[in-house]
Amino acid sequence: MALKRINKELLELEKDPPANCSAGPATIMGPGDSPFQGGVFFLAIHFPADYPFKPPKITFTTKIFHPNINSNGAICLDILRSQWSPALTISKVLLSICSLLCDPNPDDPLVPDIARTYKTDKEKYNATARQWTQKYAM
Amino acid sequence: MPQIISMKAEYLISLSFLLTFAVITNAFYVKKQFYPSVVYLTKSSTSLAVLYAQAFVFAILFGKFIQRIFLGPLRAIETEHLYDRAWFSITETCLAFTVFRDDFSPRFVALFAVLLFLKCFHWLLEDRVDYMEQSPVLGPIFHTRVIGLLSVLSILDYLFISSAYMHTIAKGASVQIVFGFEYAILLVSVITTATKYILHSIEIRAGEQWENKGVFMLYSDLILGLFRLTLYMIFIIVMMKIHTFPLFAIRPMFIAMRAFRKSCNDVLESRRAIRNLNTMYPDLTAEELGNATDTTCIICREEMQVQQSIKRLTCQHIFHKNCLRSWFQRQQTCPICRTTVLRPVPARATAAAAAAAAAPPVNAQPPAASQSQAQIPVSTARFAQPPSHFASNSSTSSTSSSTPINTAPQTSPPNFNTMGAGVFPQMPFNSFPMVLPPFAFPPPPLPPANFTGMSEETIRAMEGAELSHVQARIQCLRNVRTLLDASMIQMQQYMNIVLTQSNMENGTRLLSNLKNDTDQVLTSSDENNSRNNVLNPINENDADVIRRRRLEHYTQRLSPSTTNQENNNDS
Repeated sequence: MALKRINKELLELEKDPPANCSAGPATIMGPGDSPFQGGVFFLAIHFPADYPFKPPKITFTTKIFHPNINSNGAICLDILRSQWSPALTISKVLLSICSLLCDPNPDDPLVPDIARTYKTDKEKYNATARQWTQKYAM
Repeated sequence: MPQIISMKAEYLISLSFLLTFAVITNAFYVKKQFYPSVVYLTKSSTSLAVLYAQAFVFAILFGKFIQRIFLGPLRAIETEHLYDRAWFSITETCLAFTVFRDDFSPRFVALFAVLLFLKCFHWLLEDRVDYMEQSPVLGPIFHTRVIGLLSVLSILDYLFISSAYMHTIAKGASVQIVFGFEYAILLVSVITTATKYILHSIEIRAGEQWENKGVFMLYSDLILGLFRLTLYMIFIIVMMKIHTFPLFAIRPMFIAMRAFRKSCNDVLESRRAIRNLNTMYPDLTAEELGNATDTTCIICREEMQVQQSIKRLTCQHIFHKNCLRSWFQRQQTCPICRTTVLRPVPARATAAAAAAAAAPPVNAQPPAASQSQAQIPVSTARFAQPPSHFASNSSTSSTSSSTPINTAPQTSPPNFNTMGAGVFPQMPFNSFPMVLPPFAFPPPPLPPANFTGMSEETIRAMEGAELSHVQARIQCLRNVRTLLDASMIQMQQYMNIVLTQSNMENGTRLLSNLKNDTDQVLTSSDENNSRNNVLNPINENDADVIRRRRLEHYTQRLSPSTTNQENNNDS
């Protein structure tokens, strides 16, 4: 079942890719209203054998300065863990990650330092994120 | 572990080698002979420290060598897990040292180091086998490595257990009990990993369709979790009898307990969900499938055919039965709206749902979950502000439809499509009997009397019985209002009567008071007159005279009314 569904999803994704995302190698373009603007971030997607029943493992392969994404590229997103549902698709998940880039969730951080910066010194956070984007994602 | 052995670590390793070399050469240089130099080395604490550090370095290098053979390069997540667990384990080992401080010796420390060393490989193997689920392509090297490591670890565990057993039998209770239990628990974890490995391999062999894997996984987790928990329990009891409370075993036991509880829960809930699936939800018929607009199973993304068995949940979402079963082995909620399937649905509600499903397309529209959420706010809003009924209704329906995954109307009724507005199809009128038991709680009234906004056809579409109920209710409310108005008028009349009566009573009281006054004044003025007439005939009595006249005037004015009243009474 997994392979069939993955193929279907990939076809759909190629036909109708969500904004800022692409499937080829999975990429997300930094959303316009975020400090990641202009960056191209690559992601690695691993499908488990029992795919629609277990969430896909998605990690950033490009370094990114974000409170919910750590240095290994692991993403802290509820729908990739406990809140997964087989009704979700890769394109929906990519969209969620996109919106996570715009609106970080500093209350449930994966990197507490960045979360603290985000909460206390938004300017510094934006500057660092922009700097990292220029350094690693352009 | 390429990142970990960075330049820094390499420097440290070479430094350690250099130091060892220096210490040993120094010893030989000083003592010239083998035996005295060894004695010198073991007596000097500095050289001992250097040698211990060197042993540690050797252990790490050996570990890396074994890892190269059996595991190859580690993934980032494996390294992370290894570090996390290693820290906990080291802390617990230090705690264990405090319990056995009497037996503290280099041999003892070495045994713990070996235990930790083996534990690391157990964890790595677990992670590696979990990785099987994610990676589609696994070469023969992977299988050889995993099987090799599995057998080596199980043999080592067995050997350590038996040696601990022999030691305990021969020399009585000692620290060996701890090792015996630790290795027994490790053996259980090896068995767990092996079971998982076998299941994964069978699945890879069998191809995609092996639906029972989830069940096997659940039960093996349950049984092995029970084993592990029992071992920890026995261990703690034995330790408390022989030594003292083993503080270092608390955390792993707690984790084992939690894991066991979770697997118990998983087994029970998945069983219940699948039983519910088989018994409570009827298979869809061809006709019902024809009525549904979206016949793609959201789980496998394939069109549903009638010959496959298809289930409709209480929330009206439809899926393949097999897809649902596989999902329920992991979670027991609707994949689309996350309504739980475990909560027992009252029989009447299911009957109503079935009826709703069988009835023409109007009913199948709103998912029950959003209804049950929206139910209370909608009805209260209606009671609170009758005139804005439609506004409140539209807002609640929009909130209910804006819940994240809760989109995708399953059937779009044809006669509503022409109406536009998008509000009326969401109106939960028709769902009242589904959620509220019809006899205990009649549907709440819908205050706006005129249904002018809708066409006759639409109103009829919204179920005749419901409409008549609503109209009867409105009529009833109007009657109540008329009655209230009438009673208000009556109340006002009554109030008038009461007021006039009290006025009359006041009048008579006033009269009697006045009479008393006049009498008093008259008598006093008479006395005054008789007394002071000669001295101040006019000045003294001026005020009195005026008062008297005024009083007489009053009495004259009042007396006709009293006489009149008496006349009235007489007549």
